[in-house]
This record gives sequence, structure tokens and C-alpha cells, in this order.
Amino acid sequence: MSELDFGFMSEVAGTPRGSGILLCIQCGRCSSGCPVARLTNDHNPRRLMEMVVLGLKKEVLSTQLPWYCLSCFTCLDRCPQGGDVGDVMFAIRNLAAKQGNVPAGVAAQAKALYDTTRVINPVRSALGKRESMGFGRLDAEGLDEVQKILKRTGMDKIVSSTWEGRVKKT
Amino acid sequence: MKYAFFLGCLIPARELSYEASVRKVMPELGVELLDMKGANCCAPFSIQSVDYDSWLALAARDLCIAEEMGLDIMTLCNDCYESLLMVNTLLKRKPELKDRTNQILSDVGKEFKGKIEVKNLVDVLYGDVGIDKVKNVIKEPINGLKVGTQPGCHLTKPKRIHFELLRGFNELDELVQATGVESIPYERKEMCCGGPLRDINDDLSRKISRLKLMALKDAEVQAVVTVCPFCFLQLDLGQLEVKRHFNEEYNLPVIHFIELLRMGMGMKLEDWEIKAHRIPITDLFKGRL
Amino acid sequence: MTGKEVMVIGGGIAGIQASLDLASRGYKVYLVERSPSIGGRMAQLDKTFPTMDCSMCILAPKMIECSHHHNVQLLSYSEVKAVKGSAGNFVVTVLRKPRYVDESKCTGCNICAEHCPVEVPNEFDEQLGTRKAIYMPLPQAVPRAMTIDKNNCIDCGLCVKMCQAGAVDLKQEPREEDYNVGAIVVATGFDVFDASRIPTYGYGRYKNVITSLELERLLCASGPTGGHLIRPSEGKIPRTIAFIQCVGSRDRRFGTTYCSSICCKYSVKDAVLIKEHEPNTTVSIFYIDMRAFGRGFQEFVNRAKSEYGVRFVRSSPGEILEDPASKNLKIWYEDTIAGRIENAEFDLVVLCPALVPSRGASELAKVLGTELDDYGFFKAGDILVSPVDTTVPGIFVCGYALGPKTGDIPDSIMQGSATAARVAEILERSV
Repeated sequence: MSELDFGFMSEVAGTPRGSGILLCIQCGRCSSGCPVARLTNDHNPRRLMEMVVLGLKKEVLSTQLPWYCLSCFTCLDRCPQGGDVGDVMFAIRNLAAKQGNVPAGVAAQAKALYDTTRVINPVRSALGKRESMGFGRLDAEGLDEVQKILKRTGMDKIVSSTWEGRVKKT
Repeated sequence: MKYAFFLGCLIPARELSYEASVRKVMPELGVELLDMKGANCCAPFSIQSVDYDSWLALAARDLCIAEEMGLDIMTLCNDCYESLLMVNTLLKRKPELKDRTNQILSDVGKEFKGKIEVKNLVDVLYGDVGIDKVKNVIKEPINGLKVGTQPGCHLTKPKRIHFELLRGFNELDELVQATGVESIPYERKEMCCGGPLRDINDDLSRKISRLKLMALKDAEVQAVVTVCPFCFLQLDLGQLEVKRHFNEEYNLPVIHFIELLRMGMGMKLEDWEIKAHRIPITDLFKGRL
Repeated sequence: MTGKEVMVIGGGIAGIQASLDLASRGYKVYLVERSPSIGGRMAQLDKTFPTMDCSMCILAPKMIECSHHHNVQLLSYSEVKAVKGSAGNFVVTVLRKPRYVDESKCTGCNICAEHCPVEVPNEFDEQLGTRKAIYMPLPQAVPRAMTIDKNNCIDCGLCVKMCQAGAVDLKQEPREEDYNVGAIVVATGFDVFDASRIPTYGYGRYKNVITSLELERLLCASGPTGGHLIRPSEGKIPRTIAFIQCVGSRDRRFGTTYCSSICCKYSVKDAVLIKEHEPNTTVSIFYIDMRAFGRGFQEFVNRAKSEYGVRFVRSSPGEILEDPASKNLKIWYEDTIAGRIENAEFDLVVLCPALVPSRGASELAKVLGTELDDYGFFKAGDILVSPVDTTVPGIFVCGYALGPKTGDIPDSIMQGSATAARVAEILERSV
């Protein structure tokens, strides 16, 4: 186990979606309902909150623990403290991404977004079918603006750094 | 009724049949759908996980396009709905977030004003078109069919937002009932389909869709009705994946609500649309296809 | 008016205590109770913490004293409709609802009820038992008189025929009476959070998920099952029982963000009671915190664990599912101390719901002109310095109507006495 980082909880609480961590009373209602937690020990929202509070920054940010979240919001709906557990999970992932720790699947989507404005792109046959049906053309007219936005927020750097091989395989 | 039609990424890529049914059915209900030129991906949960400001700005850009069109957005995908609805709500409620996002958007000459609403297909059919009008277009009710509906996570949660929109399971069930089909309850109806873990952890993704399929089978439904393309993918194609990995067969046809409505209106599905269902629907909907 | 008249609204233990204290000091007390009998929640309980005394055995003598004391006038089956005036000189309009039975003639012999053809759920038994359209809500009712529930009565007239005392009077009409009093005491108690607002717990859908108040009625010898704890679904004795704490309490989703303060106490009490009766039954308490404050309670919790084998699981469960065949319940929870997500099957699940202001409290507050706090309980004028005064001089409040600060029986009694002292202080000054 690594050294504890006692500032980690405040760091998470200071992010836009992370303030709920301050409310956690470890009641376990979130994990009782989490579909993923029922299937694997690797992901457990209550335990993740506990690890943040304890300061286990390295474990939380550099492993797959927070990435198996479905963002189904079951935890958020059940938390008696109104702690927005689901939002705290996003906050944790944002911090992990800043360090370049992102699963390969997510990195691929982010890159696709930067390159094409879409996270999933149709294959050529699907495009052909689309034309034959007479639906509107799938354009990438927004590409310029999307890239400007991502350069401004700095996400382009996160994307490029993960794509260059610092990707954690799950 | 006119809406800015937000397609999202998944439907044009893998579920053109959903789009086709929507474009055929909606005009019959008096709904006109206008394409959103230059729209970008809504920034679903995977992108939200990477960066917060990017999420706000990307979703806000789409909202701006709709605002410039002067129309509310209608979306088909639950993930698009969650992303666009949350950002629309957040920016409307929190001036500091709106200012921050508009600062980024000013780089591309756009400004979020908070003038439009984000709706999904169920919102539009139930709220704007209305159950009565939907009932009126049904020419060939589909009686004697028992289904389990999959509203999907982001149609009903997080409740703190959705309570204000009075969202519940009931809307979709009532719509289904309007076509003559019976929606029966099943355990784990509120549970996620597992879609978000696709390509991130396929093993878990499959295990979750399997849990859903087991619950549906236990309730003895004859088919599953979805509204979200992701749920459809997980439960339809997902059955083949579950078969390959767990050696279990469920033989549960999965069909979008709009396709059910289409058949109820007496419109036949085309060959390629029928084939888009990996679990065959030909037996169950004999004579309507 | 002599200047020594007081009205007490609410005939539960707090109101009864205030009434008796004032009556023995020579005050004339009008005790108003909206149900047919006084007694309140304490009458519904089986045994009370910490003495494990039979609740009714402690309460009944006080109830009887209220009916016999020459200074106490019981206005049962009545409600306060309007209040005018100010401290020292209030005029209260009380609606006397017709019970269609002459209290002075009725002996409580019950023959009318035996012949009444209409059977409906009994509110006193939390809808678990039944009563007739002509009824006494509990066997120890005070006043000892029947009441006809006109909503369900079919006017067959059998009760009139059967009554040997000629006490049934179907011609009774509601009437409003004015009372001139110097002070008013509010003691309206609590109601129970509607647990069906948490759909994942299945209350209202699953027969074997009950509230703690329903459990008390099942445990009580005068209750619908004669004190035998049996499952609502088919009447078998439950062998595995789960208590779930904080159902609605401490929950920001419903606005009941407070701790109801007595649930940890009574659930451990109930768990021990059940174990004493049926040592082979497993009892598990699912809690977030075990709030064992005050004298003797931590020791009681320790004994519950070591001597009685009550299982304490630190977890707030996420959901309860029912097996449609056996009607058993499956609880999904994470044992937060062990860090394991588990599920367990139980024959019976008892929810400990939040305690909320009594139905009608906000209307009464409007009539009295008193303020309510954010949760709808009666607000103390100054919570530190005069905690039983309301925001209106001359009107006082005691018991759970004040809110969940304390709430157990000794505290309610203490507060009842405190309001009596305050009333005496105000009225003796003004005389």
C-alpha cells in the first residue's frame, strides 16, 4: 500500500462534481444497489469513497476501480445524504484522466471525438445505406469548432497523451 | 410540432433502422424533425469522465445549434438525453457555469442562452403528442402480446432532476399499452443494461445484460421493448454474445417502441429493418412485417 | 371563568401528564382528543424501554385518573376548530363530533359490536386487525363508550335493538362548543413516515414488510393476533427477522433529514423481546449508526449482542425483493465493516420509519397562530431558554409534537409536567 495523501479528499471535494464526498457517512446504501459491485469486488462505490477519505490517492486514481461505473445513477438516487455519489465518481475519473490514466476504450472514444466530432463512426456501407435512404448527410462541419473547444479546455492534451501508449489496459 | 433532431453517434453508426422508423412514424403524428447541421457528439459518460469543462462546452455547443434553430431538441438515445438534459439544466440554474462555458464557446462564436428544452422520444410522444393521438393512429392493435419494457437508466434517473419532469416508468408503459400490448413487471426493471461498459470491460458488460435477460425470462415476457439504441444493442446483439460466453439462449426478440407503434399503425417493416434485429422477430410479428 | 381553566389538545401520554399535573394543582382541564379514546401512541405499544414494563399497565391508571378526576373534563372525539383571544383569556371553539352513543349511558358491554354486521380495518391496530362500525378502538378505551363510524355504518339499527342501556342515539348531531381558557397545551404527538415512498423497500407491495408500529400491534397481547408474532402473509411464525433503521429518517431525499431519535432504542428493545419469546429466531438489525445515548442504553445494546445474540449489521440496505412463492424477503446490502456485498433471506422485515408531525398539525398551527419549524413540528419560542413555549404566549407544547429532540416516554412525561408548570406560572401571575 502506498503512502496516504491526506489532502486527497479536499482535492476531490474541490472539483466541480466532487463536493458530495464530504457528506459520505459510509452507510453502504449505494453499494447495496450498484449492479457492478454485485458482480465484482473490483468496483464498489462505498469503498471508493472510503479510499478517497483515507487518502489512498494512488490506488484510486491509477487502477481500474473507478472506471467500471455504469453511470446508471442508482447510487446517487439512494444516497440519504444527497451526496451525489455518481457525480463524485465522475470527479474521481476526471482526476485520473488528468494523470493520463484512462482505459483504452475511453481513450479511443475521446480520440475519435477529436478527429471526427463523433465517438463512434459509421462504416462505409452504413454511410452508403444512409444515402440510399435519403436521410441527411452525416457531416463533420463542426470539426473545426470542436477542436478549438477541446484545445481550449486542454482535453486534446489528455487525449494525445493517453493515445501515445500510457493507456492502462483493463 | 417541430423539433431539432439530435441523432447521436450510435444510431447512424449501427442502428439506421431505428432512425428509419422514427422518420416514417413521426410525420403521421404531426411531428416534423429537422436535422441539426454540424452537431457534434453529445459527450456521454465516457467523455464526461475525461474532462468536466469539455463536457459542458461540447454539449452546450449542440444546445446552441438548437437555440439558433429556435427549436427544442428531440433525441432518441438515453445517453444523449442525459448529457444534453443535464448540461441544459446545469447551465440554466448556475450562472457561474454558464459564464464559464460561454467563455469557451466564444472562441467558436457561440453563446448558450438557455432558451430551449431537451426532450426524448418518450417525452415527445407522451407529453407533446399525447396518448390519445397515439391511440388514434393505431389501426391494427397488437393484442395478446406480453412484453417487458426497458426504459433505460437515463430516462428515469437521477430522480432529483427527473422528479421535476415527472418522469417515471409509467409513461413508456402507457405508450406500449396504447398499441394493445401488455407491459408486465419484472425484477430488475430499473437495472442498467450494461451498455456503458461496452469496450471498456466487455466481461462485466455481458454479465449485466445477462442478469437483465434472466429477469426478463423469469417474468415470461415474449419480447423486450426498448427506447434507447444502447439498450437495444445490449439486449439484442447482447443475446448472441451471452450465448457465446455463457452458453445460454434466451430467444427474446427485442424491438424499439417506435417499431411497435409502426406495426400498430399498419406499416410494414422492410427486409433490411427486420434483419437489423439479431434475435429474429419474424415469428412473433407474423403478418405484420 | 375563574382564570384557572386550561385546554390540553392531544390525549397521549404527554397530554395526559400535563392534564393530571394541572388538575392536581386545582386547575380545570379540558382534555381534547380527536379519536374516540385517549391513550395515543403509548397505548399501541407492547413493552417499553428501559424497564420492559407493559406499556398499557403504566398508562391505563393515568388514563383512568383522567376520566375520574373531578378537575379533568374529557372532550373525546372532538377537534379544535378556532381560537380567539390571548394568554389568560382564550376562547376555543371545539367541534364535538357525534359518536351516536350517549357516553353517560354506555357501559362498554360490547353487545352492540358483537351484532354489528359491518367489519372494517381497525386504525388502532394499524389496519392489521378489524373492528365493527360500532366500536371501541381498544379494550381499555377511556372514555369507556362505543362510537359509531358513520362512514361505514349501514344503518341497520341492530345496535339500537341490542343495547340494554338505550345508549345508542342515532339522532346525535355535531355541535360546536366554546371554552374559555387561560392557556392551551399542544400535545398532538406524531405520525409515521409513509414507507411506500421508498419503492425499493416494497412496503405496501410485499405483505411481510411491516413498520415497527405494526410490529408493536402484533406483539401486543391486546392486538389483532393476541400477542403472537406471526407473518401477515400466511400466519406462520417468522424464524428470521430483519429490522431496517432510518427508513426516511436522516434522508435528504424526503426532507426528513433529522434523526427520529427513538428508533435505535425501540428496535433493540423489540429485538430483545422477540429473542426472549423465541430464542431460536434470528434477529438482525441493519443500521447506519447505533445511537445509544443516555443511561443504560449502550449497556443494553451490548447485552443484546452478547446475551441475546441479536445480530447488528452496519449497513443501510439498498433494496428488498420478494420471492413470489414463499413471500420471503431478500435484502441486498453491503456489510460495511466486512466490506462485502451480500444478500440474505428473511421471513419478516420490520422498517423503522421516520416519525413525522401528526396529521393535521399544520392546520392546528394555523388555528392557534403558532409557528412550525422546517419539518412541520411546533416551534419552540426560544429553543434554549423556554423550550416548551410556542411562538404564541399562553400556548405551550410538549411531547413529540415538539419534534424529535428526545421523544421517548420519560421525556414526553417530563415535558408534559414542564408545560403544566409553565401554565401555572402564567396563570397564577394573571389571576
